[in-house]
Amino acid sequence: MFGLTRLLGCALTFYAANFFASTQVFAQPSTRESAAELTKKTLTKYCNDCHSGDKPEGGIRIDFLTAETQLGSRIDQVDKILLALKDQQMPPADADQPEGAERVQVIEWIEQRLQEFDCGNASRPGRVTMRRLNRNEYNNTVNDLIGLDLKLADDFPSDDVGNGFDNVGDVLTLSPILMEKYLAAAKQIAIEVIKNPEASKLVFPAQSNDPNDLDEAVAVARENATHFASRAFRRSLNAEESERFLDLMKATWEANASKDEIMQTLITVVLASPHFIYRIEDDDPKDFVDGIRPLNDFELASRLSYFLWSSMPDERLFDLARTGKLHTPEQLSSEVDRMLADSKSKALVDNFAGQWLQLRDLEALSPDPIKFASFDAKLRQSMRRETELLFSSILNENKSVLELLSTDSTYVDERLAKHYGIDGIYGDGFQKVDVRGKRRGVLMHGSILLLTSNPTRTSPVKRGKWVLENLLAEPPPPPPPNVPELGADGEALGTLRQQMEQHRANPNCAVCHVKMDAVGFGLENFDAIGSWRVADGRETIDPSGVLPGGRTFNGPLDLVQILVDDKKAEFCRCMSMKMLTYALGRGLGVADRCTVSSIVNNLAKNEYRFSTLIKSIVTSPPFTLQESGR
Amino acid sequence: MSSSINNPLSRRTLLRGLGVSLALPWLEATSSIAKAATVVAHSPTRMAFIFVPNGVVMPNWVPKTEGFGFQLSRTLAPLAPVQDELLVISGLTHDKGRANGDGPGDHARSASVFLTGSQPRKTDGEKIRSGTSVDQVAAQAVGQRTRFSSLELGVDAGRMAGNCDSGYSCAYSSNISWSSESTPVGKEVNPRLVFERLFAGGKASEVDKGQQQREALQKSVLDFIADDAKRLQSKLGRNDNRKLDEYMNGVREIERRIGTKTAKPTDIDVDYAIPDGIPGDYQDHMRMMCDLMVLAFQTDSTRIATMMFANAGDNKNYRKIGVPDGHHDLSHHGENAEKLEKLSKINYFQVQQLSYLLQKMKSIREGDRTLLDNSMIVYGSGISDGNRHNHDNLPILLAGSGGGTIETGRHVRYDLETPVCNLFMSMLDRMGVDAPYIGDSTGRLPGLTL
Repeated sequence: MFGLTRLLGCALTFYAANFFASTQVFAQPSTRESAAELTKKTLTKYCNDCHSGDKPEGGIRIDFLTAETQLGSRIDQVDKILLALKDQQMPPADADQPEGAERVQVIEWIEQRLQEFDCGNASRPGRVTMRRLNRNEYNNTVNDLIGLDLKLADDFPSDDVGNGFDNVGDVLTLSPILMEKYLAAAKQIAIEVIKNPEASKLVFPAQSNDPNDLDEAVAVARENATHFASRAFRRSLNAEESERFLDLMKATWEANASKDEIMQTLITVVLASPHFIYRIEDDDPKDFVDGIRPLNDFELASRLSYFLWSSMPDERLFDLARTGKLHTPEQLSSEVDRMLADSKSKALVDNFAGQWLQLRDLEALSPDPIKFASFDAKLRQSMRRETELLFSSILNENKSVLELLSTDSTYVDERLAKHYGIDGIYGDGFQKVDVRGKRRGVLMHGSILLLTSNPTRTSPVKRGKWVLENLLAEPPPPPPPNVPELGADGEALGTLRQQMEQHRANPNCAVCHVKMDAVGFGLENFDAIGSWRVADGRETIDPSGVLPGGRTFNGPLDLVQILVDDKKAEFCRCMSMKMLTYALGRGLGVADRCTVSSIVNNLAKNEYRFSTLIKSIVTSPPFTLQESGR
Repeated sequence: MSSSINNPLSRRTLLRGLGVSLALPWLEATSSIAKAATVVAHSPTRMAFIFVPNGVVMPNWVPKTEGFGFQLSRTLAPLAPVQDELLVISGLTHDKGRANGDGPGDHARSASVFLTGSQPRKTDGEKIRSGTSVDQVAAQAVGQRTRFSSLELGVDAGRMAGNCDSGYSCAYSSNISWSSESTPVGKEVNPRLVFERLFAGGKASEVDKGQQQREALQKSVLDFIADDAKRLQSKLGRNDNRKLDEYMNGVREIERRIGTKTAKPTDIDVDYAIPDGIPGDYQDHMRMMCDLMVLAFQTDSTRIATMMFANAGDNKNYRKIGVPDGHHDLSHHGENAEKLEKLSKINYFQVQQLSYLLQKMKSIREGDRTLLDNSMIVYGSGISDGNRHNHDNLPILLAGSGGGTIETGRHVRYDLETPVCNLFMSMLDRMGVDAPYIGDSTGRLPGLTL
């Protein structure tokens, strides 16, 4: 096992070195210095004036990067340096600026060092900011809580997206209008529950035997209130909390409210409470040792259920939490198997895959109807479904996550089959078909090809950028400021490809665009709605290319083969990062790299199986521990 | 307000929908002249801000001449019917929309800076921070006078997935209103929901006897959850408590609204069809949101509103007006004549919708003025030229004279680098709001009154 891990590590280093070799050509055409020397030179030239010595600017010293072999204790500083370089916040605008190629070289060198970084026990789990339920979570939770699928959150304002997902605590803000909606929804749910006998029974299971026995009525009311509130708050209630609910019911009764009104008031209060709307993990100083505490079993149950189901825990998870049996790695793993097999895990397809692969954005896209007359809403829907079904099959059959890239089969209905030129598929039902030799993996899905195109034509840059960002976790830095305007010195001529090649003549652009464009060119045989083509207008498509590092390919199938052969580790790392972000509901920092590395190692050891990815996450320190935010 | 001729939609939907009565406090339709005269003295001043993304083609926007009787530019031509109510303001700058060391991300910044004048913190999630926006400063100061302290409208929902702009969270791109430096105020894009929110109470005469009891129950609910939040405070750390503050603000806002005992409004039949959802057509959608803003002002449900015609960096196409390309893609026009032409068409189309709104406001009489006279509607972008991404010399105009306190019908030019926030300060004065500053304001905009 150790050998394999080492091998992967080597592959990573090898690749980074290759990328570097290609950038070096632009940075220093005449000399061949080592990456470290080159980095040191650049950092010394542009950063040392402010960021060295005893009183460095902003408390950040830069010299240790190239001097020390271990980054361990300064890992947080590395995070800041990397971000400042990537975002072009440093050097400040009024100082000398490195060339684009120099900047990229330094960033890649630091990234590579971080790959090798061994966290040991030094890593911290990080603080997850209290998350309010987003719209999907609210709908699902209400459905599970009262047994009615009311979908009231469809009318809430849309949730903001941060770090690529809409379940990130820091950007899940609560504006007054949303509070208004929460309150209105709580009232409406209360009315629906009272109207519906089955929902009433689920919400308030206890019944009194003797309607005239006042003591019993009070006991039943207390039991029902406690039962409902503890499910809604996803934890057990303390005596004081139960008492408050009882007091509220008493006061309502004394105000001459009917029995139904009392129940409605209770339900409203519970569902409008911060304990329902937010997923709260207490931050009581007495629970923390060194600023860290293990989550309790109820908190873990919620983390699990909202991760895999986008909903509240079920009775079994609550039972395990009540008996304190949930937190062992074995139990967590076995719950993952159970939960993934449950139909509620479809939430992972809709909400994780839908955002990771950006399938949700398809809805807003409308290709030019003159150029793409065959496109309609039905086709758009089928495209989305195809990708969801591929992801589902990997989830449901616990297949290798690499199949997402490499599978030779796909899922089509009649509409999509026609679009792809596949004969013999009829009707609206989806079937699994073999597309060997024609299409391969998610990169050749109509959905992805469409959402990385412009309305009127393909965009090789967008396609390449999408692959780098979403499949390889190597997002290119944004273009440097003051990029000369295209066309300023004469409009470029020729095919799209030739035009782009002309624009890449500038080495500072080329340093990123060689990567993006090459991938995009490899997919040029697919037009802006993902149909196969051999020509663009009068120009024949040239789908060949050279990847940084010198690997050549000819056409999309070749390109995907290279990704599968050489970029396995990067793909797994990327998918793990996205999944971990989604699972935690926060952006990842440098300190999370070790968690990601260990997930990637686990994947490699277990045939890259989907459930390994999930189990590695739910047993990881950031998922099972919480850091104090005080 | 009757269904206007230039809005075919309202006639169509009128047949489907149900005309409802809205409570109108302005006694126009029933009052005698004497009564109307007293109303004038009390006609409130309203303000609204409308955001468009991706800048505009400036040569087609800026009027060639200045002062009174200025010549409307090509893009502003649709505003001819309200030219006398316009103040086209050239030369203003949003310095905090610039990188200032934060690198790329001008689109996200252009929206987050638009009403805040504050440098947004560059983050994709953690610790988002901008500043309190001018509309919210006003809402917090004088919003308690109306049922809704402010109204936030838009046409496009926030982005559903992915990244929005170069390391900036989508929260920056899809919001212009911020109630605190860390809380963007979500906007409503569904006309039906806006309508229901504004007018759920129905006719004033229909307020039934059960209401009092319901209000009492409502109050006990609010007391209870406010207490929940208070008890929770001590158990949470800093960031979590910031979240809880948002919750408590929301509860307080609702409490305030219930507590507001405005003068009993008079019922007036306004034939406005209840919207039945989000229209498929973009123009219909924009106009419906404009209608709702007018209704809210007209019924004095609020005096402060914001509207995003689209989110920052928006890339939708405008096929209906012959532009099949994405707006953002086009805005990187590289001085290409064909692209500039298409962009100008989009700019023109958006100004047409603005004109629809302004004409509607002008058609509504309030005493011897119009609703438009009693308002200050700012329209513009946080980017000047989409190709250069510059934040100086912004396309900004103001419509309405703020109750006769602004000399309109002019094109004025200010010194370069004059903060947009100085305009906001001048507007706050007219709203009766005393704020020390907004964002990077350095004073008031001189010469609004002659």
